[in-house]
Amino acid sequence: MTMRVSAAIWAIFGAAVVLFMLTPMVLLVLFSFGRNALTAFPMGGLTLDWYRKLLANDTFWGAAENSAIIAACVAVISTVIGTMAALLLSRMPERVSGPLLLQLRAPVMLPSLFVGVALMSFLRLVLDVELGLPTVILGHLVITQPFVILIVHARMVGFDHALVESARDLGASPLQAFFTVTLPIVRATIVGAALIAVAVSLDDFIITFFTIGSGNTIPTLVWSMVRTSLDPSINASATILIALTMGMTVLALHFSRYRG
Amino acid sequence: MTSAKDLRRWWPLAPAALVYLIAFALPASFFFILSFWSVRAMSIRRDFTVSNYVETWEKYADVIAATLLIAAETAVVTTVIAFAFAYLIRFRAGRLGLPLLFVTLLTLFGGYLVKIYAWKAILGKEGVLNSALLALALIEEPLTIFIYNSGAVVATLTHFLLPLAVLPIYGSLRGVEDDLIEAARDLGAARRQAFRDIVLPLCLPGLLTAFTLSFLIAAGDYVTPRFVGGTGTAMIGDFIEQQFSLRFDWPMGSAMSFSTFAASAVLIVAAGLVLRWSLRP
Repeated sequence: MTMRVSAAIWAIFGAAVVLFMLTPMVLLVLFSFGRNALTAFPMGGLTLDWYRKLLANDTFWGAAENSAIIAACVAVISTVIGTMAALLLSRMPERVSGPLLLQLRAPVMLPSLFVGVALMSFLRLVLDVELGLPTVILGHLVITQPFVILIVHARMVGFDHALVESARDLGASPLQAFFTVTLPIVRATIVGAALIAVAVSLDDFIITFFTIGSGNTIPTLVWSMVRTSLDPSINASATILIALTMGMTVLALHFSRYRG
Repeated sequence: MTSAKDLRRWWPLAPAALVYLIAFALPASFFFILSFWSVRAMSIRRDFTVSNYVETWEKYADVIAATLLIAAETAVVTTVIAFAFAYLIRFRAGRLGLPLLFVTLLTLFGGYLVKIYAWKAILGKEGVLNSALLALALIEEPLTIFIYNSGAVVATLTHFLLPLAVLPIYGSLRGVEDDLIEAARDLGAARRQAFRDIVLPLCLPGLLTAFTLSFLIAAGDYVTPRFVGGTGTAMIGDFIEQQFSLRFDWPMGSAMSFSTFAASAVLIVAAGLVLRWSLRP
């Protein structure tokens, strides 16, 4: 009897947390198709007008283009350098790799506001660099590479390094051994890590805001829409952002076969 | 003592380390130095003064205190819910554990700004909640009690921090062997005792990570108080952001950041000690 009561309590708790996590996003998606210009009931029938309005807007396409350029560069660079780091760290003993991993993770444990304004001050006052897409990419790399490193490292910890060594004994160069032995085994994980890097990059608002100078990405566009007006296309652009980032995550989990 | 052999061994780490240095470690160090500089006539002077810290203390001590209170509430609420949810995934949900973990990961990487905006849209005077209550005729006038208060801020912060807090705790719980718990039960430990003496202590690193993460990120957030906070819930991140976007007093913004950071660190260490002490054998 008590067992059944406790199972029921756990079920209610689990359902409540899942609802809490998902409902706000589900509501925005729902209202993005509603005729009512306010995000409120009644929705007033279904419409695609807000999307049409948004997609006819040049500012949106400029922002989308910037987001795409940044995400693509960040994905390629952070995947390459993150994988290199993770492969090396996975061959180190835990007492060496542990503190290094913790160190590299610091930027994602701190508020983005701190990372963003510190980077902007350094770029402007010390390096005297103009802000633009390259500085945004630099800022994103420091928050995406920890995820790539953690994901690839977790996969490589169980990796049999004897395989690589036998390839090397048989005369393969380190690069050959990587491309013919290591890569085919961890490819799916690396693709998953790259997609997570895309999601993190697309989603970032604060670091982008401080390092872009002028111009927009999709999140900074959403920010200005929320701040300046009650533009009903907000829900449509928010939905597009949700679809992009969550889509990347779903693909990533699919590719890495989602072992948790 | 760096020999050519060391160099050959460590080079794969070099690009990642370089990004870390240029985009994080050096900027953070410089940012600390910046807090001792000053601004005269809109231009930065590279001198050495503690006046920014004095001014932070004089003007913003109460805002920092209020921020730390909200951060502490958020960190406690988030860590408790995250622990219970991770425990559910690991020990109670059986086959449903994987879908629950999937939902957690799904909401982890998507929609920081969107989540905060969603809460504004839900809780606002003309928002989803009020319009639903009106439509159901449960109320006659829209209620203003949902938004622009600390409850709304804590709920919103908890919402986007929860997946971030679940993962480290779940990671720790995954390392707790079922055999260990069964062995304790066989030796006569009550379920509660096994939980208190085995599960919780082994989960301590995950709990501390989740708490620290939630506390720091909550204390440094400025979007949430600006969207759903009210006049009574001013948070320091809001003022720090303004030093950079409106007032161009970067040294002041830096001193405010490090003051908040130092105060947060003291509280987090204290909370960690209390947790450790309460879990002693």
